[in-house]
Amino acid sequence: MIGPRPRGRDKPQGPVGLRRDAEKVGGALPPLLAEAEHLAASVAMGFHGRRRAGHGENFWQYRQAVPGDPRSSVDWRRSGKSDQQFIREMEWEAAQTVHFWVDDALSMDYRDSDDVRARSKSERAALLALALALLLVKAGERVSLLGTDATQPRAGRTQLNRMALALGGAPRDDRPDYGVPPADRLIRGSRAVFFSDFLGDPEAMTPVLGHAADRGVRGSFVQVLDESEETFPFDGRVIFESMGGGSEFETQRARALKSAYAERLAARRGKLEDMARHLGWRVLFHRTSASPRQALLWLYMAVGARA
Amino acid sequence: MIGSIAFLSPWLLAGLATLPVLWWLLRAVPPAPGRRAFPGVRLLLGLKDPEKMPERTPWWLLLLRMLALAAAILAFSGPVLNPRPVGSSDPLLVLLDGGWGDAPGWTQRMDRVAAALDEAARDGRRVAVLAAAAPPQADGEIEWRAAPDWTERLAGLAPKSWSPDRAAWADWIDGRVGRFETLWLTDGITDGAEAHLAEALLAHGPVTLVRPRQTALALTPPRLEGGELVASALRADAEGERPVSVVALGPDPTGIERALGAADGSFASGETRVDLKIAMPMELRNRVGRVQLADGRSAAGVVLADDSVRRRKVGILSGEPGSEAQELVDPLHYLRTALEPFAEVIEAPLGEMLNTAPDVLILADVGNLGEAERSALLAWVEKGGLLVRFAGPRLAQSGAGQLEEDPLLPVRLRAGGRSIGGAMSWGAPRKLKPFPEGSPFAGLALPEDVDISSQVMAQPDPDLPARVMASLEDGTPLVTGKPVGDGRVVLFHVTASPDWSNLPLSGLFVEMLERLSQSAGGVTTETEALEGAIWTPEQVLDGFGELGPPSLVAGVPGERLAEGKPSAETPPGIYASGDRRVALNVMHDRDEIAPLASLPQGVVTETMDRPAEIRLGPWLIAAALVLLALDVFATLVVSGRLGRRFQYRGRRTAQAAVLLLSGLALGLAGQAKAQTAPGDDASALRAATQTVLAYVETGIPRVDQISAAGLRGLSKVLYDRTAIEPAEPVPVDIETDDISLYPFLYWPITDSQRPPSDAAVARINEFFRSGGMILFDTQDADLGGGGATTPNSRALQRVAARLDIPPLEPVPIDHVLTRTFYLLRDFPGRWTGSTVWVEASPGAEQVEGMPFRNLNDGVTPVVVGGNDWAAAWATSDNGAPMFPVGRGLAGENQREMALRFGINLIMYVMTGNYKSDQVHVPALLDRLGQ
Repeated sequence: MIGPRPRGRDKPQGPVGLRRDAEKVGGALPPLLAEAEHLAASVAMGFHGRRRAGHGENFWQYRQAVPGDPRSSVDWRRSGKSDQQFIREMEWEAAQTVHFWVDDALSMDYRDSDDVRARSKSERAALLALALALLLVKAGERVSLLGTDATQPRAGRTQLNRMALALGGAPRDDRPDYGVPPADRLIRGSRAVFFSDFLGDPEAMTPVLGHAADRGVRGSFVQVLDESEETFPFDGRVIFESMGGGSEFETQRARALKSAYAERLAARRGKLEDMARHLGWRVLFHRTSASPRQALLWLYMAVGARA
Repeated sequence: MIGSIAFLSPWLLAGLATLPVLWWLLRAVPPAPGRRAFPGVRLLLGLKDPEKMPERTPWWLLLLRMLALAAAILAFSGPVLNPRPVGSSDPLLVLLDGGWGDAPGWTQRMDRVAAALDEAARDGRRVAVLAAAAPPQADGEIEWRAAPDWTERLAGLAPKSWSPDRAAWADWIDGRVGRFETLWLTDGITDGAEAHLAEALLAHGPVTLVRPRQTALALTPPRLEGGELVASALRADAEGERPVSVVALGPDPTGIERALGAADGSFASGETRVDLKIAMPMELRNRVGRVQLADGRSAAGVVLADDSVRRRKVGILSGEPGSEAQELVDPLHYLRTALEPFAEVIEAPLGEMLNTAPDVLILADVGNLGEAERSALLAWVEKGGLLVRFAGPRLAQSGAGQLEEDPLLPVRLRAGGRSIGGAMSWGAPRKLKPFPEGSPFAGLALPEDVDISSQVMAQPDPDLPARVMASLEDGTPLVTGKPVGDGRVVLFHVTASPDWSNLPLSGLFVEMLERLSQSAGGVTTETEALEGAIWTPEQVLDGFGELGPPSLVAGVPGERLAEGKPSAETPPGIYASGDRRVALNVMHDRDEIAPLASLPQGVVTETMDRPAEIRLGPWLIAAALVLLALDVFATLVVSGRLGRRFQYRGRRTAQAAVLLLSGLALGLAGQAKAQTAPGDDASALRAATQTVLAYVETGIPRVDQISAAGLRGLSKVLYDRTAIEPAEPVPVDIETDDISLYPFLYWPITDSQRPPSDAAVARINEFFRSGGMILFDTQDADLGGGGATTPNSRALQRVAARLDIPPLEPVPIDHVLTRTFYLLRDFPGRWTGSTVWVEASPGAEQVEGMPFRNLNDGVTPVVVGGNDWAAAWATSDNGAPMFPVGRGLAGENQREMALRFGINLIMYVMTGNYKSDQVHVPALLDRLGQ
């Protein structure tokens, strides 16, 4: 569920646009953002430090001065307590850019029809993305949501709202069956997190990933799948069709296809992992039935890991 | 017709032949595949199905559909269980005996008639229903009507309290023309003319005789045997053992009729008569107003008490003038004390006393009698009076019966008496000798301490030994007696005071007098008394043996009554002429009843038990619909559209359902009543710690359901509007449950209500005494008027007969019930307008300036009415009323009033006469002001 892309057409200006935005903010946004904040709060509180010395405002450590250190960096108060001279180091707090891509294809709308409480894959993906973005923004990072009007990396609450607006807004009309990451320009040396079910054609991702490799972007794939997509619990005479109706497959006895399906899914995941290994990326397989907290924690560690 | 099932349109069964075609068709057309959106389809593309699902409908689904279709075909072919052969097109005469013999199984009879009418309606035959107990109208014709007309009129039929007059009907039938078939529902009791009637009916067409499974029982008037009330139960067929029990009813000291005694017995196999001895104390026996069969009651099973068990009138007269003497030397004192428990004692001058027609006259030491008195006394004795005389100084001095035999003394007396054991005489006081056989005192126990010190002596005449009823150890007579005319003269050779003996001080004296007075036959025989007067019925028995006010019965000449045979003009009951009252019973002392004698050839005999004709069509249709509904479910399962959750289990569930359903179709679901453990601690605790409204279970699920819903609705309203916050209402089994913890019972009375057992009666009375209240609801809007004629009212009377219920009156306008919470004028329920009864207010007084009378301390233990309150209170689970009340706005208003009555009633239960105390408010305010 990704908001309408303003790319290619102008946003309505004046009262109309203002009202539309206000409605969006008052509509779908707060629940999603609130939920994301709730989720984020359970993972980490406080500042997102880099855990190493660098340019920053917070104290990191004292170390003994060595020849070559500028005299102005000696901490005299500390040095006065002993014969040696110490230098006060601050924690490195350089802002980093993290690109998000949340697949908004029709296939992400899928959810197990039998379970009323089940969330669709796109809802889960949006939640994870927003929660992670929230944590990162709190830590002072800049975030961007590829393929929406939040593509430009920015820090701060406004950017979060913009992301939430894009994620929680009405879905656009011309969505494909399976999604491909948009070919937006990535910031050099930035991080990226791609949320999708990765059930579409894997080759279609090659250009974007090539671009990412060129720009030295490291990141994570998060494959969000519904439980029924993993376990294939179907039986009987069934015609399967893709969410948009683009492809169809008829089986006489669905149960018999279970193992074959499982093999194919494993192969697809293997391929994804191969791709990730080549790029130096990481892969997370997430089920919508599982707790989002675990996935968020994993992502938080993965993004914050030493490059 | 196959076995006991027949089909109305058998040719439709040919449709069953299409079942194989259907089988083939259904097998050929598999269920359509389900469509499923599934993103993983990309992974599936190109896969080959490793195994093929059989493209056929599964066998159990086929079976389900075949069953549904078969059920539908069978249903439309009109199957009838236990069919009755299709009769001719002749009119059908349904002849009921309609006498008391029909009463015990009246409902079954009516059901049978209704079934016959249904069949006749189906065959388009005209019908007439006649009851042979009503006398035929000489110039009338058989009233042929369409069967549905009669079905409506069946409810108006009731058995009569006399026997059918079959002879008259036989003659009447002979006089009719035309062919008709007869269905004769007999009571199975002969009157000697049944063969005649059967022949008359056979002359017009075939006759089917329906016999009851058990004929009615009858009861002869009770008689006294050895101090016990003995009634004989009679039956017509002597087959097998049959238990029988009787109860004796009469007013208790407060005037309320209740069961005073009961007896059980059993007809031995082959016997048609069994004597039932009702053991009860003398005092109770004297109160017995009627004796009746406990079960299977009919007019013949009720005997209204007559002289044989009645309280005797005993006149006592002393020779001593005036009452100057102190009480303990007054001979009448001992007689009075001894007689009062069991007899009505009259003390008056002799002439007046004879006018009151006493049964027994006791003269204590009366010597000389005037000539006029003598002849009046003699005439009275000859008509059946019992004259008991006690000796004494006056009798001894009068010389009466010393020279010649006095007709008013049983023996000749010797001049003077004898005194033994005194200061001036030899020998010790004499003891009594055991009473000889044949004496009225035979069998009485002799106390050790009875001594006789003086007596008058009898002349040793030749007939003296035959006249001795009791004697002393030395053989001298103590009590002698002789018959005079229809009556008897008895002489105690001692005084009635303890002057001559201490006999009057002993219990034996009381027993001897009791035996004597019981042996008195009464003065007038009925025949003489009845003739020459017009007797009007005061209360008459209906066919079911209930006493009620007479309707449309004129006065009867005594001669007709003396025949002793009840009929339409002289129904059994209590007749009065002036201040005399006699009872006319159906059965007499030595009556017998016998089964129908041999009937002519050609009469087809059936029993009542014949299973009723049942149309199976609707059930089969319902089964087909259920099967089709299941088919919808099953089809969804097969095509995978029911969701995965069901899919794993679905197949097995569906198979189980098919098997279960076939099982259900064959078997019948038993109805198991969940038995709650009586008096368990949890429910007792619940009742004790919370306010719980309770209702009496009737055993009829619908009524119980309404009661529960009604009390729940009332509880909710109470909760909403008042400080009473009742818990969920509970059902109470009046026979087993402890009701003492509930403040209020709602008791819907249905016509199948059985009178409560002794233990239950005791519990209910205790409940009343401890401040509980029961709301009796006959639910019939008191349609009968006066409260005695609807089946429910009769059931209520049976229930209430033994309960300790005070006299009732319609709710007075100023009753506390009208103002405990709301101010009410009337008390509608679902119905309105029937009278509501509460305990009559005792000694109500109007206080000056008070709006209400002072009715303190009269909290009624019962409220009786027929407005079906529970139905008006009843709400379904979602709070909506369950039953319509009245029409439109007025109806809703009535429901509101019904709820207000409920609130007032529960308030009344909870607060008693609290509101009545408000009459004191002005006085209290006045006092506060000072």
